[in-house]
Amino acid sequence: MEDTKNEVEKVAFEASEIEYVSYGGEHHLPLIMRLVDEELSEPYSIFTYRYFVYLWPQLCFLAFHGDRCVGTVVCKMGDHRNTFRGYIAMLVVIKPYRGRGIASELVTRSIEVMMESGCEEVTLEAEVTNKGALALYGRLGFIRAKRLFRYYLNGVDAFRLKLLFPHRPPMLANWEGNEVQCSDDSSKQYQGLPFECC
Amino acid sequence: MENEVEKPQQGIEMAETLSIPSGEGSVWTDVSSLIAAACKDLPDGELIHGGNFSLFAAMSALEIMDPKMDSGIDNGRYHSIDEAIENGAAPVPLSFDRTVDALCIIDIMDHLLACEATWHKGHSLAQTVFSCLYLLRLDRTSSHALLHSYCRVVHATCNAIISVVSDARTHEEEDLFTMAYGLPLGGEKDDRCLSNLNAVEETLCRQLRASKALSAKKMAVEDVEPLQTNFDLEEGFCKALLCRLRFRKHFYHLLMCMRRPQGRGFDLARKHISSCLSELERIRISSEFLRLVASKICDDGTLVRTTASGRQPVGFDANVNIRSSAPAPPRAIRTLSWKMALEYFEKLLHDLDIICSFSLDPLLENVLRFTVQFQKLQPDLVARAHLQLLLIQDGKLYGRDPIFAVICRAAALPEAVKDHDMQKNEFVVQLGQFVINLLKILCTNVAWQRRKLGKILQDWRIIYVQLELAFRKELGEFSNMSNDENLSMKMAKYILIWVEEQAYWIASRFLLLGFELDLYSSGEYCMVYWYIYVVLIKLAEKTHFRILASFDTAKRKGKKKRDSLMDLARDYQIPPAVLLLQCYICLADGLTTMLAALRNERKAFLSPGPFNTEHERFIQHFEHLQKACMPDHMSYLSFKESTAQASLSSLATHNHFKDAQRIARELKSSFAHDPDRVAELRHIEQVAEHNSIALNVISRVGALDTTLKISFEFTYHPYFAVAVVKRS
Repeated sequence: MEDTKNEVEKVAFEASEIEYVSYGGEHHLPLIMRLVDEELSEPYSIFTYRYFVYLWPQLCFLAFHGDRCVGTVVCKMGDHRNTFRGYIAMLVVIKPYRGRGIASELVTRSIEVMMESGCEEVTLEAEVTNKGALALYGRLGFIRAKRLFRYYLNGVDAFRLKLLFPHRPPMLANWEGNEVQCSDDSSKQYQGLPFECC
Repeated sequence: MENEVEKPQQGIEMAETLSIPSGEGSVWTDVSSLIAAACKDLPDGELIHGGNFSLFAAMSALEIMDPKMDSGIDNGRYHSIDEAIENGAAPVPLSFDRTVDALCIIDIMDHLLACEATWHKGHSLAQTVFSCLYLLRLDRTSSHALLHSYCRVVHATCNAIISVVSDARTHEEEDLFTMAYGLPLGGEKDDRCLSNLNAVEETLCRQLRASKALSAKKMAVEDVEPLQTNFDLEEGFCKALLCRLRFRKHFYHLLMCMRRPQGRGFDLARKHISSCLSELERIRISSEFLRLVASKICDDGTLVRTTASGRQPVGFDANVNIRSSAPAPPRAIRTLSWKMALEYFEKLLHDLDIICSFSLDPLLENVLRFTVQFQKLQPDLVARAHLQLLLIQDGKLYGRDPIFAVICRAAALPEAVKDHDMQKNEFVVQLGQFVINLLKILCTNVAWQRRKLGKILQDWRIIYVQLELAFRKELGEFSNMSNDENLSMKMAKYILIWVEEQAYWIASRFLLLGFELDLYSSGEYCMVYWYIYVVLIKLAEKTHFRILASFDTAKRKGKKKRDSLMDLARDYQIPPAVLLLQCYICLADGLTTMLAALRNERKAFLSPGPFNTEHERFIQHFEHLQKACMPDHMSYLSFKESTAQASLSSLATHNHFKDAQRIARELKSSFAHDPDRVAELRHIEQVAEHNSIALNVISRVGALDTTLKISFEFTYHPYFAVAVVKRS
């Protein structure tokens, strides 16, 4: 992905200066949209954003440095072939803030909520060339379960990454099951959800 | 929105005029104000969430006038093909200056070739080959024999290629390839395109001869109208055009030859491949001439990559067709360069040549090996589709051998049983389908292939159980198996051994492909090699059984039973195929032990994560194998138990790599006639040797030396890593 702003210089900051907040409502939506639009090449309609943040606001987090939103994670969860599964849809940290663990922190928070909500596993797709993302998810315990041939419209293959939680008795909190029948595979050919992180 | 508000009112009027009566419990009422209020409540970008509004629906929604999403957006250029043509975007002739005309046609040919390669590489036909306005309106070119003949043969070639790929149906993940709706394809009689092409070629030949004669004797020998007006350029132009036309001709012939049943056209196809490659070379050489001419005639300084001359081709508009490229949102396509297109076609031709050179070996084992070797060359979709069409035609191997006969041969049964009634057994029929399915899967791209192989493992396991039950029911207990004279019993026994062997072969391919696809991280290598080890042991065991059975069958033909048993004991040698598997087993065992020892003693290659453990990663990676019980009773616990005590000192006393090296060396003479396997044995030796050395270094320096950096790389073999030891 092209860096649209040429902001390659790192910003000096202490880890403690970064504030992580859960999605707090309509005022956060433009921040998320701008971040994703700027950093990722795939176009998403406003409906895609709303689909995620309205159904699973608890799985969406933002990272702020002062007033500046520097990173975000957008996810969902629901039934997928008899498994209650979390799905990480978008993860973005703007370039000057990468490499300092912000993406890790954002995604860890989402995964924790998924785990508490009874998810059995978490999945996502990442470009095979996105070494940063692959390393990050590898550290968190994701395996590369499948390779998806020319998954993205730019012709690049993707890995389907999966994180299986240790087995626990099934939870009853299957509260969004009906809403999320859409398989992750079905979005292929239209817009792969690309990931940019670290 | 205002229109929306007015509509219900119209609806009411309509309802009244049509006199639709109010139903039971319902009456017509004016809801305009309600809808108006709802509209006011719902600004742009908001949505009412319905139960059926899925991610798919959200992502399919387009924002009108967003240049990234709206393929119908006015891009400031032509709105239709007709409008483009009316505005002179694709003139016929291309220029009234015949020299410029000839150059422009060559540019079109080159750009079309680049488009065609780009299409083969996975972009839509609409945005590549059919960005050519001349192809979109073929009739318009009929007055221009050269352009017309070229466009027609390209058109015919597209039809032929789409037909091969659609028939093979190996393109599940590459389905954009055959999408051609809205495009002027099919329907036409393509055969005639060759007579057109031949006529044009003949004219060009005469023009070339005339120009040569003229330059030699400085006089006209034939009454031939030259191609263009500049005498000095005539020969160069004729040559540049001839090689381009001839390439198309041979390529089309080649495709037709390859479609003949049972590989009957392969000898001829190979001749066309050879001609195509020569013409491609001539096309490449013509670039120098074309660049020179382009710089003389019309040097505007800008060079494009998609033509030999470097000139922008006339008559292409990728946007005019953008709406036909559904269902994908519009994307700018980067057309391959002309040079890359030449390379693509050379690669395709070499791949097709390998298919045409295949001996149509009737033994399934060899078919599988050929397919696996072929895939190592990373063939693209078109070549893979041709292989698949060769392997399976009319439900038979090569359209020639019935699948039951293939199974019998594979299971080392005598030729005579291929008409046996057993082939009517429903599970045997199903097994035949599985074999066909397996061959098809092996022709798909490796990413998809691995996923499908994982899924069919269970099918093979289940069919084994079903066949065993069916045979028992039909033939009685296998414990009476000493009675091998009973043909049915023998067939049942041999087929079962083979099904198991085949299932383990699939399992091993599934595991090994994980390396090719880069699915394993170094922290997982230990368990992966352990699983490969246990699967290969089973595979070697089953293969050995099957080969022994065939040995037995062969012996029995000529000798009495008592003699044959004695011979068996005397002549017994482990077959080379089993020994080759033994090499892999030693490598896998060695790598498992080395990695386990490094984990146990150096705490290296462990990958702890905050959310799960290695156990979960084991379940995920081997889920398909575990579900199919391959092998039985193998679990994470077995892995932990067999690696818990691994140490570098024990590995030094029993060096598996040395064993692999020794067996590989001994095997070379057995495979002397097979260069692929000789190369494979050399790679095995290299992996073994380098790992032995690495092991020595680590042992000498001491496992606990923290300055030692150890990594694993696939320098000598795609699946078996070598340890690289460095001191930091």
